[in-house]
Amino acid sequence: MLTNLEEHDAIVRAPDVIASVRDLKIHFRGKRGMVHAVDGISFDIRDGETLGLVGETGCGKSVTARAFLRLVQTPPGVYAGGSITFRPRRVCDDCSGVGCRECDGTGRVAAHCPACGGKGCRTCGGTGEETVDLLSIPDAQMRALRGNRIAMIFQDPGKALNPGLTVRDQISEVFLQHRTAEILAAAGVSPNDVLLRRQASQKSRAFEKMLLAVPPLRSGRNRVDAALDTMVADALAQTQIPNPRKVMDRYPHELSGGMRQRVMIAQALACNPDLLIADEPTTALDVTVQARILELIRELQQRHKTAVLYISHDLSLVRRVCDRVMVMYAGRVAETATSQQLFRRPTHPYTRGLLGALPGRGAHRGRLAAIDGTVPELVDPPAACRFVGRCPDEVAACSRTDPPMVEIEPEHAAACFVHAPPGKAAATRPVRTP
Amino acid sequence: MTMTADASLARQPATAADDLVVSVRGLEKHFPIKEGALQRVVGQVRAVDGVSFDIRRGETVGLVGESGCGKTTLGRCVAALSDPTGGGIYFGLSAQHRDRLDALLAVPEARRGEAERRALAEIEAAHRIDRLQGNAWRNFRRNCQVVFQDSFASLNPRHLVKDIVGRPLEVYREASGTALTERVVELLEQVGLGRQHLYRYPHQFSGGQRQRISIARALALNPEFIVLDEPTSALDVSVQAQILNLLHDLQQQRNLAYLFITHNLSVVRHMADRIVVMYLGRVAEAGPTEAIFDRPEHPYTGALLAANPDLTDDLDGAMRTLEGSVPDPARPPQGCRFHTRCPVVTPACGWEVDDVVRWLADREAGFDRLSGVERKDAFEADLVFEDDAAVAKLSAALRSDAVPMAMREATEALEVRGRKLHVRFRRVSEVELTPRGPHHEAACVRSGPLPV
Repeated sequence: MLTNLEEHDAIVRAPDVIASVRDLKIHFRGKRGMVHAVDGISFDIRDGETLGLVGETGCGKSVTARAFLRLVQTPPGVYAGGSITFRPRRVCDDCSGVGCRECDGTGRVAAHCPACGGKGCRTCGGTGEETVDLLSIPDAQMRALRGNRIAMIFQDPGKALNPGLTVRDQISEVFLQHRTAEILAAAGVSPNDVLLRRQASQKSRAFEKMLLAVPPLRSGRNRVDAALDTMVADALAQTQIPNPRKVMDRYPHELSGGMRQRVMIAQALACNPDLLIADEPTTALDVTVQARILELIRELQQRHKTAVLYISHDLSLVRRVCDRVMVMYAGRVAETATSQQLFRRPTHPYTRGLLGALPGRGAHRGRLAAIDGTVPELVDPPAACRFVGRCPDEVAACSRTDPPMVEIEPEHAAACFVHAPPGKAAATRPVRTP
Repeated sequence: MTMTADASLARQPATAADDLVVSVRGLEKHFPIKEGALQRVVGQVRAVDGVSFDIRRGETVGLVGESGCGKTTLGRCVAALSDPTGGGIYFGLSAQHRDRLDALLAVPEARRGEAERRALAEIEAAHRIDRLQGNAWRNFRRNCQVVFQDSFASLNPRHLVKDIVGRPLEVYREASGTALTERVVELLEQVGLGRQHLYRYPHQFSGGQRQRISIARALALNPEFIVLDEPTSALDVSVQAQILNLLHDLQQQRNLAYLFITHNLSVVRHMADRIVVMYLGRVAEAGPTEAIFDRPEHPYTGALLAANPDLTDDLDGAMRTLEGSVPDPARPPQGCRFHTRCPVVTPACGWEVDDVVRWLADREAGFDRLSGVERKDAFEADLVFEDDAAVAKLSAALRSDAVPMAMREATEALEVRGRKLHVRFRRVSEVELTPRGPHHEAACVRSGPLPV
């Protein structure tokens, strides 16, 4: 499944990395040529960390996030190269996901490699853990991961929730798709009951539903529904929604923006995923609501030790929320660093520009350091730094070749010929530190 | 606090520099709630409910608040895009006229004498925007322009940039033919665009460029005053910085007055000279920008500031957050409208029957048994339950620590009468704005600095 064994070894050697993106390229077919929306980016997400993905509109951050779930529409999208390796976990057997000593309180344990059964082979690089390439696995396998091991919170909860479904139906779907066995166990139904098993996995046909409405079978169906309701209510209660049983019967339009986003979070975290992708989860919300949603995400993340890929255009938010930050510009990574490093010592001129453009305490009115010019069009871009033309510190080399990612200090790398000159630093490989 | 001394400072003597562009007095805008096949009016959403402030020449007034607090509605009323339900907006008052108007408005309508009524009518005919006629109306219209949040929706997609920016000049017969084109090019150059953009459609531009076109259109008639309704909230930070710089430069060149409506506190701090904080249709606090940010007097302002992430915040301190959601503006809370979410509530903040009902709604057991509420008024009612046990349970709960201390202290009567629970709270009136410093007012029953 994995194309590049060398890259593959890299992820395997670092046991804390749960997802690893290598040279990812996503292009869109346009009228005037290929739009290189994401053009060769590499990064890792470690278990339990929050990685911030920052950039302006059109820099490819949302497309990157969507690629994790293979949600980029093709066509016009084209997965033009690279890989996203992901290490899915499974529910801990000892505590069935509640969290015990065995699984370090997370409710998740490593899944065995299907090729060798956990003994260690070439596919899993000897670790015995299941490792998949999200871009090449079959659709059925991807479907089993979506919402289960990798979940996503979308920007606008008003648009992402189905207006025709109640909150109960909306969240039930996650359980029906991924947790059939648990539903049946909670309802006290034998897993061999075909009719109810199909009911608990959204596979019932119309005549089966009719059969289940007939008295002797109805009690079984009611028990399944009750078990499902309990699971949904528990998921909602986690997001501090007052009176979850009442909210369950509401439609999305009856809820406020903050409540809708809570429902989205409840839905995303329902299956205790390994990786949560939050695509600007608070952009559509008020500042007071935003603060509470952020606290909530942070608290839930700490409790479940979920890795979060947090996408935002707001640097002041990212500073509060993220452990590490990756700044993207025009489909490329401009700079990666820990949150502290980035704000203490921004290196790439683009990062500096973004920080300078924020109206803050020190800025004088009318003197905001705006970045001149506009984002370049990404139709068949030439080999050059993407920031050429807007950069204040440009040199001749910038418009000739791509600047490589150069490590400036541990964990901190930038792609800039001027501020992170290649050769001076210890390593010129894509950023990754043990 | 030196409140008495500052109170006199709040109304300074008139000077020429104190020229007003727009004065809003007691503005109300209510939207009817209609129901059923006959569209019967069953209530009013009080989007704006008694707001007063002034905008001086060359000054930026920031209007901040959460969504649904009425800030956009207020902006639309000020720009005469929707008719107010009550109160008035006065355009181009001199300072003397303003003082005269305030004196006249301070007298209740029933007690105004014939002379006072005539004087008021005179000022209103000359300055109140919904009473303006003919040339005065045209003069107001050309001097008050708007830049909207969504530049895609506010530019006609089937018109060329030349038509969009040139239309105000055509309507007011300022220019035509090549002169018009030249004026349009001049305007485009002022906002950082150029001649090459004349014959393009809005969709051919980026978000920042479209907002520049909106600004060029607003500038076409050389207005005195522009309502900026969230002009940068749809833009990226780097583009936002360009637009904010542009707006500042234009203000310097043309002595423009801005009403800057936004929910972004960092932006408003950067741009505004004075700030008006709105909550549920009313002004919570108003004052100079530094005073609002350094010494917020209203707990709502304090909460907004605490929730706003900043590059200079202390990262160790947890973000202080507000509980609960904004109450229904069709039934605004009594007393201080913020008391349902306030972190420093007192018994005098206006506890009422709705607070009990709201509190019950967040509890699972008990509320299902509530069959009706027989209200005498907002502060006194009988809660009718289906069985006696629920009444006793609620009565005990309302006396326990489960409810806020301030609410218990404000309870004057709590009696079980069969299946009814009689509750009565201390009666309070709406909290008015009181002076807190030079030009600084807040509507809070407390005084003194906020506890941290």
